[in-house]
Amino acid sequence: MAGAVTTFPAGTVAPPRATAESPLIKRLLVGVLLVFFGLFLVLPLLVVFHEAFAKGVQVFLKTFQDRATAHAVQLTLLTAAIVVPLNAIFGLFAAWAVTRFTFRGRSLLISLIDLPLWVSPVIGGLIYVLIFGRQGWLGPLFFPSQETLDSNFLARFLYDHDIKVIFAEPGIILATIFVTFPFVARGLIPLMQAQGHKEEEAAMTLGANGWQIFSRVTLPKIKWGLIYGLILCNARAMGEFGAVSVVSGHIRNKTNTMPLHIEILYNEYQFAAAFAVASVLSVLALLTLIIKTYAEWQTERQVREAAGTGG
Amino acid sequence: MSIHIEDITKKFARFPALHHVNFTIESGELVALLGPSGSGKTTLLRLIAGLEFPDKGRILFGDRDVTSQSAYQRKAGFVFQHYALFQHLSVFENIAFGLRVRKKSQRPPEPQIRARVEQLLETIQLTEFAKRLPSQLSGGQRQRVAFARALAIEPEVLLLDEPFGALDAKVRKELRHWLRRFHDTTHLTSLFVTHDQDEAFEVADRVVLIDKGEVQQIGTPDEVRDLPANSFVEEFLDLDGTVPV
Repeated sequence: MAGAVTTFPAGTVAPPRATAESPLIKRLLVGVLLVFFGLFLVLPLLVVFHEAFAKGVQVFLKTFQDRATAHAVQLTLLTAAIVVPLNAIFGLFAAWAVTRFTFRGRSLLISLIDLPLWVSPVIGGLIYVLIFGRQGWLGPLFFPSQETLDSNFLARFLYDHDIKVIFAEPGIILATIFVTFPFVARGLIPLMQAQGHKEEEAAMTLGANGWQIFSRVTLPKIKWGLIYGLILCNARAMGEFGAVSVVSGHIRNKTNTMPLHIEILYNEYQFAAAFAVASVLSVLALLTLIIKTYAEWQTERQVREAAGTGG
Repeated sequence: MSIHIEDITKKFARFPALHHVNFTIESGELVALLGPSGSGKTTLLRLIAGLEFPDKGRILFGDRDVTSQSAYQRKAGFVFQHYALFQHLSVFENIAFGLRVRKKSQRPPEPQIRARVEQLLETIQLTEFAKRLPSQLSGGQRQRVAFARALAIEPEVLLLDEPFGALDAKVRKELRHWLRRFHDTTHLTSLFVTHDQDEAFEVADRVVLIDKGEVQQIGTPDEVRDLPANSFVEEFLDLDGTVPV
Protein backbone atom coordinates (compact mmCIF):
# COMPACT_ATOMS: atom_id res chain seq x y z
CA MET A 1 0.00 0.00 0.00
CA ALA A 2 2.78 2.42 0.91
CA GLY A 3 4.35 1.86 -2.50
CA ALA A 4 1.05 2.60 -4.21
CA VAL A 5 0.65 5.90 -2.39
CA THR A 6 3.98 7.26 -3.62
CA THR A 7 2.97 6.78 -7.25
CA PHE A 8 0.27 9.42 -7.06
CA PRO A 9 1.35 12.69 -8.70
CA ALA A 10 2.44 15.43 -6.35
CA GLY A 11 -0.41 17.51 -5.01
CA THR A 12 -3.04 14.75 -5.20
CA VAL A 13 -4.14 12.71 -2.27
CA ALA A 14 -4.56 8.96 -2.49
CA PRO A 15 -8.26 8.13 -2.28
CA PRO A 16 -9.05 6.28 0.94
CA ARG A 17 -9.93 2.61 0.62
CA ALA A 18 -13.55 1.96 1.36
CA THR A 19 -12.72 -0.31 4.26
CA ALA A 20 -9.73 1.62 5.59
CA GLU A 21 -10.03 3.14 9.06
CA SER A 22 -7.68 5.64 10.58
CA PRO A 23 -4.92 4.07 12.72
CA LEU A 24 -6.50 5.67 15.77
CA ILE A 25 -9.81 3.89 15.29
CA LYS A 26 -8.04 0.65 14.58
CA ARG A 27 -6.04 0.90 17.80
CA LEU A 28 -9.14 1.86 19.73
CA LEU A 29 -11.11 -1.14 18.45
CA VAL A 30 -8.32 -3.59 19.15
CA GLY A 31 -7.83 -2.00 22.56
CA VAL A 32 -11.50 -2.36 23.49
CA LEU A 33 -11.40 -5.96 22.36
CA LEU A 34 -8.33 -6.70 24.47
CA VAL A 35 -9.84 -5.04 27.55
CA PHE A 36 -13.02 -7.07 27.12
CA PHE A 37 -11.02 -10.22 26.56
CA GLY A 38 -8.94 -9.57 29.68
CA LEU A 39 -11.85 -8.64 31.93
CA PHE A 40 -14.27 -11.35 30.91
CA LEU A 41 -12.04 -14.27 30.00
CA VAL A 42 -8.50 -14.07 31.29
CA LEU A 43 -9.19 -12.46 34.67
CA PRO A 44 -11.88 -14.93 35.78
CA LEU A 45 -9.66 -17.80 34.70
CA LEU A 46 -6.76 -16.41 36.73
CA VAL A 47 -9.06 -15.95 39.72
CA VAL A 48 -10.07 -19.61 39.50
CA PHE A 49 -6.46 -20.75 39.68
CA HIS A 50 -5.53 -18.17 42.28
CA GLU A 51 -8.36 -19.20 44.58
CA ALA A 52 -7.69 -22.89 43.98
CA PHE A 53 -4.16 -22.53 45.31
CA ALA A 54 -4.94 -19.74 47.82
CA LYS A 55 -4.48 -22.08 50.78
CA GLY A 56 -1.54 -23.93 49.33
CA VAL A 57 -0.92 -27.00 47.20
CA GLN A 58 -1.64 -29.29 50.17
CA VAL A 59 -5.21 -28.10 50.48
CA PHE A 60 -5.60 -28.27 46.70
CA LEU A 61 -4.49 -31.90 46.63
CA LYS A 62 -6.50 -32.81 49.72
CA THR A 63 -9.66 -31.71 47.96
CA PHE A 64 -9.39 -34.63 45.60
CA GLN A 65 -8.88 -37.12 48.41
CA ASP A 66 -12.28 -36.20 49.77
CA ARG A 67 -14.66 -39.08 49.04
CA ALA A 68 -17.48 -36.93 47.68
CA THR A 69 -15.14 -35.03 45.38
CA ALA A 70 -13.48 -38.20 44.14
CA HIS A 71 -16.90 -39.67 43.42
CA ALA A 72 -17.95 -36.54 41.52
CA VAL A 73 -14.83 -36.79 39.35
CA GLN A 74 -15.52 -40.49 38.73
CA LEU A 75 -19.15 -39.89 37.80
CA THR A 76 -18.15 -37.10 35.41
CA LEU A 77 -15.56 -39.35 33.76
CA LEU A 78 -18.05 -42.22 33.54
CA THR A 79 -20.69 -39.96 32.00
CA ALA A 80 -18.23 -38.66 29.41
CA ALA A 81 -16.99 -42.19 28.69
CA ILE A 82 -20.54 -43.32 27.86
CA VAL A 83 -21.87 -40.17 26.21
CA VAL A 84 -18.95 -39.37 23.89
CA PRO A 85 -18.83 -42.76 22.09
CA LEU A 86 -22.64 -42.85 21.78
CA ASN A 87 -22.76 -39.35 20.33
CA ALA A 88 -19.86 -40.21 18.05
CA ILE A 89 -21.98 -43.01 16.57
CA PHE A 90 -25.18 -40.92 16.44
CA GLY A 91 -23.23 -38.02 14.94
CA LEU A 92 -21.60 -40.21 12.29
CA PHE A 93 -24.96 -41.71 11.29
CA ALA A 94 -26.61 -38.30 11.21
CA ALA A 95 -23.84 -36.71 9.17
CA TRP A 96 -23.73 -39.70 6.83
CA ALA A 97 -27.49 -39.65 6.29
CA VAL A 98 -27.81 -35.94 5.55
CA THR A 99 -24.74 -35.67 3.34
CA ARG A 100 -25.04 -38.92 1.35
CA PHE A 101 -28.74 -39.12 0.69
CA THR A 102 -31.39 -36.71 -0.44
CA PHE A 103 -34.74 -37.35 1.17
CA ARG A 104 -37.88 -35.54 2.18
CA GLY A 105 -37.35 -33.56 5.38
CA ARG A 106 -33.56 -33.47 5.04
CA SER A 107 -33.20 -29.73 5.68
CA LEU A 108 -35.56 -30.03 8.62
CA LEU A 109 -33.41 -32.81 10.03
CA ILE A 110 -30.26 -30.70 9.68
CA SER A 111 -31.99 -27.92 11.60
CA LEU A 112 -33.27 -30.31 14.25
CA ILE A 113 -29.77 -31.61 14.94
CA ASP A 114 -29.00 -28.11 16.25
CA LEU A 115 -32.06 -28.03 18.51
CA PRO A 116 -30.16 -28.77 21.75
CA LEU A 117 -28.01 -25.70 21.09
CA TRP A 118 -31.02 -23.42 20.85
CA VAL A 119 -33.00 -24.50 23.87
CA SER A 120 -31.98 -23.89 27.43
CA PRO A 121 -30.20 -26.91 28.92
CA VAL A 122 -32.73 -26.83 31.72
CA ILE A 123 -35.34 -27.89 29.18
CA GLY A 124 -33.07 -30.75 28.16
CA GLY A 125 -33.28 -31.96 31.75
CA LEU A 126 -36.97 -31.24 32.18
CA ILE A 127 -37.86 -33.40 29.16
CA TYR A 128 -36.56 -36.45 31.00
CA VAL A 129 -38.23 -35.46 34.25
CA LEU A 130 -41.51 -35.21 32.32
CA ILE A 131 -40.96 -38.68 30.88
CA PHE A 132 -39.34 -40.61 33.72
CA GLY A 133 -40.19 -38.50 36.77
CA ARG A 134 -42.77 -39.33 39.44
CA GLN A 135 -45.46 -37.31 37.63
CA GLY A 136 -44.12 -38.23 34.18
CA TRP A 137 -45.46 -40.48 31.42
CA LEU A 138 -43.47 -43.45 32.62
CA GLY A 139 -43.61 -42.34 36.24
CA PRO A 140 -45.79 -45.28 37.37
CA LEU A 141 -43.07 -47.68 36.17
CA PHE A 142 -40.21 -46.02 38.02
CA PHE A 143 -42.11 -44.82 41.10
CA PRO A 144 -44.65 -47.64 41.36
CA SER A 145 -47.50 -48.00 43.81
CA GLN A 146 -47.89 -51.37 45.53
CA GLU A 147 -50.69 -52.16 43.12
CA THR A 148 -48.50 -51.54 40.05
CA LEU A 149 -45.72 -53.60 41.58
CA ASP A 150 -48.02 -56.59 41.88
CA SER A 151 -49.56 -56.30 38.43
CA ASN A 152 -46.75 -55.00 36.22
CA PHE A 153 -43.82 -57.29 35.53
CA LEU A 154 -41.59 -54.50 34.19
CA ALA A 155 -42.22 -52.23 37.18
CA ARG A 156 -41.44 -55.17 39.48
CA PHE A 157 -38.20 -55.87 37.62
CA LEU A 158 -37.09 -52.23 37.75
CA TYR A 159 -37.96 -52.02 41.43
CA ASP A 160 -36.20 -55.27 42.35
CA HIS A 161 -33.03 -54.24 40.52
CA ASP A 162 -33.23 -50.68 41.82
CA ILE A 163 -33.19 -49.23 38.31
CA LYS A 164 -34.07 -45.56 38.21
CA VAL A 165 -33.61 -42.84 35.63
CA ILE A 166 -34.41 -39.61 37.42
CA PHE A 167 -32.21 -38.91 40.45
CA ALA A 168 -29.82 -41.58 39.15
CA GLU A 169 -26.95 -42.03 36.70
CA PRO A 170 -29.08 -42.96 33.66
CA GLY A 171 -30.89 -39.62 33.90
CA ILE A 172 -27.58 -37.76 34.03
CA ILE A 173 -26.35 -39.66 31.00
CA LEU A 174 -29.58 -39.09 29.03
CA ALA A 175 -29.57 -35.36 29.80
CA THR A 176 -25.90 -35.11 28.82
CA ILE A 177 -26.53 -36.97 25.56
CA PHE A 178 -29.27 -34.48 24.77
CA VAL A 179 -27.17 -31.36 25.26
CA THR A 180 -24.05 -32.75 23.54
CA PHE A 181 -25.78 -34.37 20.58
CA PRO A 182 -25.07 -31.68 17.94
CA PHE A 183 -21.30 -31.40 18.29
CA VAL A 184 -20.08 -34.45 16.36
CA ALA A 185 -22.66 -34.08 13.59
CA ARG A 186 -21.89 -30.38 13.23
CA GLY A 187 -18.18 -31.09 13.02
CA LEU A 188 -18.72 -33.62 10.24
CA ILE A 189 -21.52 -32.27 8.03
CA PRO A 190 -19.64 -29.32 6.44
CA LEU A 191 -16.54 -31.46 5.91
CA MET A 192 -18.41 -34.38 4.35
CA GLN A 193 -20.41 -32.01 2.15
CA ALA A 194 -17.20 -30.44 0.85
CA GLN A 195 -15.56 -33.80 0.20
CA GLY A 196 -18.40 -35.51 -1.65
CA HIS A 197 -18.23 -39.27 -2.11
CA LYS A 198 -16.22 -39.91 -5.25
CA GLU A 199 -13.43 -41.57 -3.27
CA GLU A 200 -15.95 -43.95 -1.74
CA GLU A 201 -17.27 -44.79 -5.20
CA ALA A 202 -13.74 -45.39 -6.41
CA ALA A 203 -13.13 -47.76 -3.49
CA MET A 204 -16.35 -49.58 -4.38
CA THR A 205 -15.29 -50.15 -7.99
CA LEU A 206 -11.98 -51.51 -6.67
CA GLY A 207 -13.86 -54.19 -4.77
CA ALA A 208 -13.95 -52.77 -1.24
CA ASN A 209 -16.93 -53.75 0.90
CA GLY A 210 -18.91 -51.35 3.09
CA TRP A 211 -16.74 -51.70 6.18
CA GLN A 212 -13.50 -51.40 4.19
CA ILE A 213 -14.79 -48.25 2.50
CA PHE A 214 -15.68 -46.73 5.87
CA SER A 215 -12.50 -47.67 7.70
CA ARG A 216 -9.97 -47.17 4.90
CA VAL A 217 -11.45 -44.25 2.97
CA THR A 218 -14.15 -42.34 4.84
CA LEU A 219 -12.69 -42.38 8.33
CA PRO A 220 -9.25 -41.04 7.32
CA LYS A 221 -10.99 -38.34 5.28
CA ILE A 222 -13.14 -37.12 8.16
CA LYS A 223 -10.66 -37.83 10.95
CA TRP A 224 -10.01 -34.25 12.01
CA GLY A 225 -13.62 -33.18 11.72
CA LEU A 226 -14.53 -36.13 13.93
CA ILE A 227 -11.85 -35.29 16.50
CA TYR A 228 -13.04 -31.70 16.50
CA GLY A 229 -16.60 -32.79 17.23
CA LEU A 230 -15.55 -35.33 19.85
CA ILE A 231 -13.44 -32.86 21.77
CA LEU A 232 -16.24 -30.30 21.92
CA CYS A 233 -18.70 -33.01 22.87
CA ASN A 234 -16.39 -34.20 25.64
CA ALA A 235 -15.85 -30.71 27.04
CA ARG A 236 -19.56 -30.04 27.16
CA ALA A 237 -20.32 -33.50 28.60
CA MET A 238 -17.93 -32.92 31.48
CA GLY A 239 -18.95 -29.31 32.06
CA GLU A 240 -22.73 -29.53 31.69
CA PHE A 241 -24.57 -28.03 34.64
CA GLY A 242 -28.15 -27.05 33.80
CA ALA A 243 -29.60 -30.19 32.26
CA VAL A 244 -27.80 -32.47 34.70
CA SER A 245 -28.84 -30.33 37.65
CA VAL A 246 -32.53 -30.88 36.86
CA VAL A 247 -32.36 -34.68 36.72
CA SER A 248 -29.62 -35.36 39.23
CA GLY A 249 -31.17 -34.62 42.62
CA HIS A 250 -27.70 -33.63 43.89
CA ILE A 251 -27.19 -36.74 45.98
CA ARG A 252 -23.64 -36.70 47.24
CA ASN A 253 -21.59 -39.82 46.47
CA LYS A 254 -24.34 -40.88 44.08
CA THR A 255 -25.53 -38.38 41.50
CA ASN A 256 -23.15 -35.46 41.91
CA THR A 257 -21.04 -34.54 38.91
CA MET A 258 -18.10 -32.15 39.03
CA PRO A 259 -20.02 -28.98 38.07
CA LEU A 260 -22.78 -29.82 40.59
CA HIS A 261 -20.19 -30.60 43.23
CA ILE A 262 -18.52 -27.22 42.69
CA GLU A 263 -21.81 -25.53 43.46
CA ILE A 264 -22.33 -27.57 46.62
CA LEU A 265 -18.81 -26.88 47.87
CA TYR A 266 -19.20 -23.20 47.16
CA ASN A 267 -22.53 -23.01 48.95
CA GLU A 268 -20.89 -24.69 51.94
CA TYR A 269 -18.21 -21.97 52.00
CA GLN A 270 -15.45 -24.43 51.02
CA PHE A 271 -14.05 -21.93 48.56
CA ALA A 272 -10.59 -23.44 48.12
CA ALA A 273 -12.10 -26.85 47.40
CA ALA A 274 -14.72 -25.40 45.06
CA PHE A 275 -12.07 -23.55 43.07
CA ALA A 276 -9.76 -26.55 43.10
CA VAL A 277 -12.42 -28.63 41.30
CA ALA A 278 -13.21 -25.66 39.08
CA SER A 279 -9.55 -25.35 38.12
CA VAL A 280 -9.51 -28.96 36.91
CA LEU A 281 -12.49 -28.22 34.67
CA SER A 282 -10.72 -25.06 33.47
CA VAL A 283 -7.57 -26.97 32.54
CA LEU A 284 -9.79 -29.35 30.61
CA ALA A 285 -11.30 -26.38 28.80
CA LEU A 286 -7.88 -25.01 27.90
CA LEU A 287 -6.72 -28.39 26.63
CA THR A 288 -9.92 -28.64 24.61
CA LEU A 289 -9.22 -25.24 23.11
CA ILE A 290 -5.72 -26.24 22.03
CA ILE A 291 -6.79 -29.55 20.48
CA LYS A 292 -9.82 -27.88 18.93
CA THR A 293 -7.69 -25.21 17.27
CA TYR A 294 -5.34 -27.81 15.88
CA ALA A 295 -8.24 -29.99 14.68
CA GLU A 296 -9.88 -26.97 13.05
CA TRP A 297 -6.69 -26.18 11.23
CA GLN A 298 -6.37 -29.77 10.01
CA THR A 299 -10.04 -29.86 8.98
CA GLU A 300 -9.59 -26.72 6.89
CA ARG A 301 -6.60 -28.33 5.25
CA GLN A 302 -8.70 -31.39 4.35
CA VAL A 303 -11.47 -29.18 2.96
CA ARG A 304 -8.90 -27.24 0.92
CA GLU A 305 -7.44 -30.46 -0.43
CA ALA A 306 -10.88 -31.74 -1.32
CA ALA A 307 -11.59 -28.51 -3.18
CA GLY A 308 -8.16 -28.35 -4.83
CA THR A 309 -8.28 -31.81 -6.35
CA GLY A 310 -11.97 -32.10 -7.09
CA GLY A 311 -12.46 -34.60 -4.25
CA MET B 1 -14.70 -59.39 -22.36
CA SER B 2 -17.62 -57.98 -24.35
CA ILE B 3 -20.25 -55.70 -22.82
CA HIS B 4 -23.92 -56.06 -23.78
CA ILE B 5 -26.38 -53.30 -22.99
CA GLU B 6 -29.93 -54.59 -23.38
CA ASP B 7 -32.92 -52.26 -23.31
CA ILE B 8 -31.55 -50.18 -20.42
CA THR B 9 -34.05 -47.68 -19.04
CA LYS B 10 -33.43 -45.42 -16.07
CA LYS B 11 -35.51 -42.52 -14.83
CA PHE B 12 -33.43 -40.44 -12.46
CA ALA B 13 -34.09 -37.74 -9.99
CA ARG B 14 -30.46 -36.62 -9.90
CA PHE B 15 -29.08 -37.65 -13.29
CA PRO B 16 -30.24 -37.47 -16.91
CA ALA B 17 -32.54 -40.36 -17.83
CA LEU B 18 -32.00 -43.18 -20.34
CA HIS B 19 -34.61 -44.75 -22.61
CA HIS B 20 -34.30 -48.27 -24.06
CA VAL B 21 -30.58 -48.17 -24.77
CA ASN B 22 -29.18 -51.14 -26.72
CA PHE B 23 -25.67 -51.81 -27.96
CA THR B 24 -22.77 -54.20 -27.71
CA ILE B 25 -19.10 -53.55 -27.21
CA GLU B 26 -17.04 -56.37 -28.65
CA SER B 27 -14.22 -57.88 -26.70
CA GLY B 28 -11.02 -55.86 -27.12
CA GLU B 29 -12.73 -52.78 -28.53
CA LEU B 30 -12.10 -49.18 -27.48
CA VAL B 31 -15.42 -47.36 -27.72
CA ALA B 32 -16.25 -43.71 -27.11
CA LEU B 33 -19.60 -42.66 -25.68
CA LEU B 34 -20.07 -39.23 -27.21
CA GLY B 35 -22.78 -36.69 -26.46
CA PRO B 36 -23.54 -33.25 -25.10
CA SER B 37 -23.77 -32.69 -21.37
CA GLY B 38 -27.06 -33.93 -19.94
CA SER B 39 -27.36 -36.57 -22.66
CA GLY B 40 -27.14 -39.46 -20.21
CA LYS B 41 -23.70 -40.75 -21.20
CA THR B 42 -22.23 -40.61 -17.70
CA THR B 43 -25.40 -42.17 -16.30
CA LEU B 44 -24.93 -45.07 -18.70
CA LEU B 45 -21.30 -45.52 -17.68
CA ARG B 46 -22.24 -45.51 -13.98
CA LEU B 47 -24.90 -48.14 -14.69
CA ILE B 48 -22.31 -50.35 -16.39
CA ALA B 49 -19.94 -49.92 -13.43
CA GLY B 50 -22.67 -50.79 -10.94
CA LEU B 51 -22.66 -47.38 -9.24
CA GLU B 52 -26.32 -47.03 -10.24
CA PHE B 53 -28.96 -49.59 -11.09
CA PRO B 54 -31.30 -49.57 -14.10
CA ASP B 55 -35.09 -49.53 -13.79
CA LYS B 56 -35.33 -51.94 -16.71
CA GLY B 57 -33.04 -53.94 -18.96
CA ARG B 58 -29.92 -56.07 -18.57
CA ILE B 59 -26.18 -55.58 -18.58
CA LEU B 60 -23.91 -58.50 -19.46
CA PHE B 61 -20.15 -58.85 -19.24
CA GLY B 62 -19.57 -61.65 -21.75
CA ASP B 63 -22.15 -64.28 -20.75
CA ARG B 64 -22.28 -63.10 -17.16
CA ASP B 65 -25.43 -61.14 -16.25
CA VAL B 66 -24.19 -58.44 -13.85
CA THR B 67 -27.40 -56.39 -13.74
CA SER B 68 -28.07 -57.08 -10.08
CA GLN B 69 -24.43 -57.09 -8.96
CA SER B 70 -23.11 -54.06 -7.12
CA ALA B 71 -19.96 -52.21 -8.12
CA TYR B 72 -17.69 -54.10 -5.77
CA GLN B 73 -18.75 -57.45 -7.24
CA ARG B 74 -18.46 -56.36 -10.89
CA LYS B 75 -14.94 -55.03 -10.53
CA ALA B 76 -14.96 -53.04 -13.70
CA GLY B 77 -11.97 -50.70 -13.72
CA PHE B 78 -13.34 -47.17 -13.37
CA VAL B 79 -11.49 -43.91 -13.95
CA PHE B 80 -13.18 -40.74 -12.69
CA GLN B 81 -13.01 -37.32 -14.31
CA HIS B 82 -11.61 -35.75 -11.15
CA TYR B 83 -9.35 -38.71 -10.36
CA ALA B 84 -10.97 -39.52 -6.96
CA LEU B 85 -7.61 -40.63 -5.61
CA PHE B 86 -7.38 -41.41 -1.91
CA GLN B 87 -5.89 -38.21 -0.54
CA HIS B 88 -4.42 -39.75 2.58
CA LEU B 89 -2.64 -42.60 0.78
CA SER B 90 0.61 -42.50 -1.17
CA VAL B 91 0.67 -43.13 -4.91
CA PHE B 92 1.89 -46.65 -4.18
CA GLU B 93 -0.90 -47.40 -1.70
CA ASN B 94 -3.50 -45.87 -4.01
CA ILE B 95 -2.55 -48.36 -6.70
CA ALA B 96 -2.30 -51.24 -4.21
CA PHE B 97 -5.74 -50.48 -2.71
CA GLY B 98 -7.77 -52.83 -4.91
CA LEU B 99 -5.43 -55.73 -4.13
CA ARG B 100 -5.27 -55.04 -0.39
CA VAL B 101 -9.07 -55.06 0.08
CA ARG B 102 -9.43 -58.52 -1.42
CA LYS B 103 -10.58 -61.39 0.72
CA LYS B 104 -7.68 -63.15 2.36
CA SER B 105 -8.10 -66.22 0.18
CA GLN B 106 -7.86 -64.15 -3.01
CA ARG B 107 -5.32 -61.58 -1.88
CA PRO B 108 -1.88 -61.95 -3.42
CA PRO B 109 1.02 -62.16 -0.97
CA GLU B 110 2.82 -58.91 -0.15
CA PRO B 111 5.83 -59.39 -2.50
CA GLN B 112 3.43 -60.03 -5.38
CA ILE B 113 1.43 -56.88 -4.57
CA ARG B 114 4.67 -54.87 -4.52
CA ALA B 115 5.80 -56.33 -7.83
CA ARG B 116 2.45 -55.62 -9.46
CA VAL B 117 2.34 -52.01 -8.22
CA GLU B 118 5.93 -51.37 -9.27
CA GLN B 119 5.22 -52.73 -12.70
CA LEU B 120 2.20 -50.43 -13.02
CA LEU B 121 4.23 -47.46 -11.78
CA GLU B 122 6.63 -48.19 -14.61
CA THR B 123 3.81 -48.38 -17.13
CA ILE B 124 2.62 -44.91 -16.12
CA GLN B 125 6.21 -43.67 -15.77
CA LEU B 126 5.83 -42.51 -12.19
CA THR B 127 8.20 -44.93 -10.43
CA GLU B 128 10.03 -42.17 -8.58
CA PHE B 129 6.71 -40.73 -7.33
CA ALA B 130 5.64 -43.87 -5.43
CA LYS B 131 5.89 -42.26 -1.99
CA ARG B 132 4.23 -38.96 -2.91
CA LEU B 133 0.72 -38.01 -1.89
CA PRO B 134 -1.80 -37.24 -4.65
CA SER B 135 -1.83 -33.58 -3.62
CA GLN B 136 1.84 -33.36 -4.62
CA LEU B 137 1.17 -34.42 -8.21
CA SER B 138 0.06 -32.53 -11.31
CA GLY B 139 -3.32 -33.20 -12.90
CA GLY B 140 -1.89 -35.42 -15.62
CA GLN B 141 0.14 -37.41 -13.11
CA ARG B 142 -2.93 -37.87 -10.91
CA GLN B 143 -4.95 -39.19 -13.80
CA ARG B 144 -2.19 -41.67 -14.65
CA VAL B 145 -2.24 -42.89 -11.05
CA ALA B 146 -6.01 -43.27 -11.34
CA PHE B 147 -5.46 -45.41 -14.46
CA ALA B 148 -2.92 -47.58 -12.70
CA ARG B 149 -5.19 -47.98 -9.67
CA ALA B 150 -8.07 -49.15 -11.90
CA LEU B 151 -5.76 -51.54 -13.79
CA ALA B 152 -4.25 -53.07 -10.64
CA ILE B 153 -7.29 -55.26 -10.04
CA GLU B 154 -6.89 -56.69 -13.56
CA PRO B 155 -10.39 -55.68 -14.64
CA GLU B 156 -12.07 -57.34 -17.58
CA VAL B 157 -13.43 -54.01 -18.77
CA LEU B 158 -12.19 -50.46 -18.31
CA LEU B 159 -14.67 -47.59 -17.93
CA LEU B 160 -13.48 -43.99 -18.15
CA ASP B 161 -15.63 -40.99 -17.30
CA GLU B 162 -14.34 -37.92 -19.17
CA PRO B 163 -10.84 -39.06 -18.28
CA PHE B 164 -9.14 -36.04 -19.85
CA GLY B 165 -11.86 -33.52 -19.02
CA ALA B 166 -10.05 -31.81 -16.17
CA LEU B 167 -6.66 -31.53 -17.92
CA ASP B 168 -5.16 -28.77 -20.02
CA ALA B 169 -4.97 -29.14 -23.78
CA LYS B 170 -1.37 -30.32 -24.04
CA VAL B 171 -1.57 -32.99 -21.31
CA ARG B 172 -4.91 -34.02 -22.77
CA LYS B 173 -3.36 -34.77 -26.14
CA GLU B 174 -0.48 -36.70 -24.59
CA LEU B 175 -2.73 -38.83 -22.44
CA ARG B 176 -5.05 -39.43 -25.37
CA HIS B 177 -2.21 -40.90 -27.39
CA TRP B 178 -1.00 -42.80 -24.38
CA LEU B 179 -4.46 -44.39 -23.91
CA ARG B 180 -4.56 -45.43 -27.58
CA ARG B 181 -1.07 -47.00 -27.37
CA PHE B 182 -1.96 -48.67 -24.09
CA HIS B 183 -5.06 -50.14 -25.66
CA ASP B 184 -3.18 -51.35 -28.72
CA THR B 185 -0.87 -53.39 -26.50
CA THR B 186 -3.44 -54.73 -24.00
CA HIS B 187 -6.70 -54.88 -26.01
CA LEU B 188 -8.61 -54.38 -22.78
CA THR B 189 -12.27 -53.77 -23.59
CA SER B 190 -12.72 -50.07 -22.86
CA LEU B 191 -15.54 -47.57 -22.89
CA PHE B 192 -14.88 -43.90 -22.38
CA VAL B 193 -17.27 -41.01 -22.02
CA THR B 194 -16.50 -37.71 -23.68
CA HIS B 195 -18.21 -34.62 -25.01
CA ASP B 196 -15.23 -33.84 -27.25
CA GLN B 197 -15.69 -35.23 -30.78
CA ASP B 198 -12.00 -34.83 -31.71
CA GLU B 199 -11.08 -36.95 -28.76
CA ALA B 200 -13.68 -39.58 -29.62
CA PHE B 201 -12.74 -39.77 -33.30
CA GLU B 202 -9.03 -39.80 -32.67
CA VAL B 203 -8.92 -42.47 -30.00
CA ALA B 204 -11.89 -44.79 -30.43
CA ASP B 205 -12.46 -47.80 -32.70
CA ARG B 206 -16.16 -47.05 -32.65
CA VAL B 207 -18.29 -44.16 -31.43
CA VAL B 208 -21.70 -44.35 -29.76
CA LEU B 209 -23.52 -41.03 -30.14
CA ILE B 210 -26.09 -40.39 -27.47
CA ASP B 211 -28.57 -37.59 -26.87
CA LYS B 212 -31.60 -37.14 -24.62
CA GLY B 213 -31.04 -40.59 -23.17
CA GLU B 214 -31.26 -42.34 -26.54
CA VAL B 215 -28.62 -43.78 -28.84
CA GLN B 216 -28.51 -41.68 -32.03
CA GLN B 217 -25.87 -43.54 -34.00
CA ILE B 218 -23.21 -46.22 -33.63
CA GLY B 219 -20.30 -46.61 -35.98
CA THR B 220 -16.63 -46.14 -36.71
CA PRO B 221 -15.44 -42.51 -36.78
CA ASP B 222 -15.44 -42.60 -40.60
CA GLU B 223 -18.95 -44.04 -40.81
CA VAL B 224 -20.35 -41.43 -38.46
CA ARG B 225 -18.63 -38.59 -40.24
CA ASP B 226 -19.56 -39.76 -43.72
CA LEU B 227 -23.11 -40.85 -43.00
CA PRO B 228 -24.61 -39.02 -40.02
CA ALA B 229 -27.78 -40.89 -39.09
CA ASN B 230 -29.93 -37.87 -38.28
CA SER B 231 -30.01 -34.13 -37.84
CA PHE B 232 -28.79 -34.34 -34.23
CA VAL B 233 -25.58 -36.09 -35.28
CA GLU B 234 -25.12 -33.65 -38.12
CA GLU B 235 -25.56 -30.64 -35.89
CA PHE B 236 -23.59 -32.01 -32.96
CA LEU B 237 -20.63 -32.81 -35.20
CA ASP B 238 -21.11 -29.47 -36.90
CA LEU B 239 -21.01 -31.15 -40.32
CA ASP B 240 -23.58 -28.83 -41.88
CA GLY B 241 -23.74 -30.93 -44.98
CA THR B 242 -20.14 -30.09 -45.88
CA VAL B 243 -18.14 -32.95 -47.32
CA PRO B 244 -15.54 -34.20 -44.84
CA VAL B 245 -11.97 -34.23 -46.07
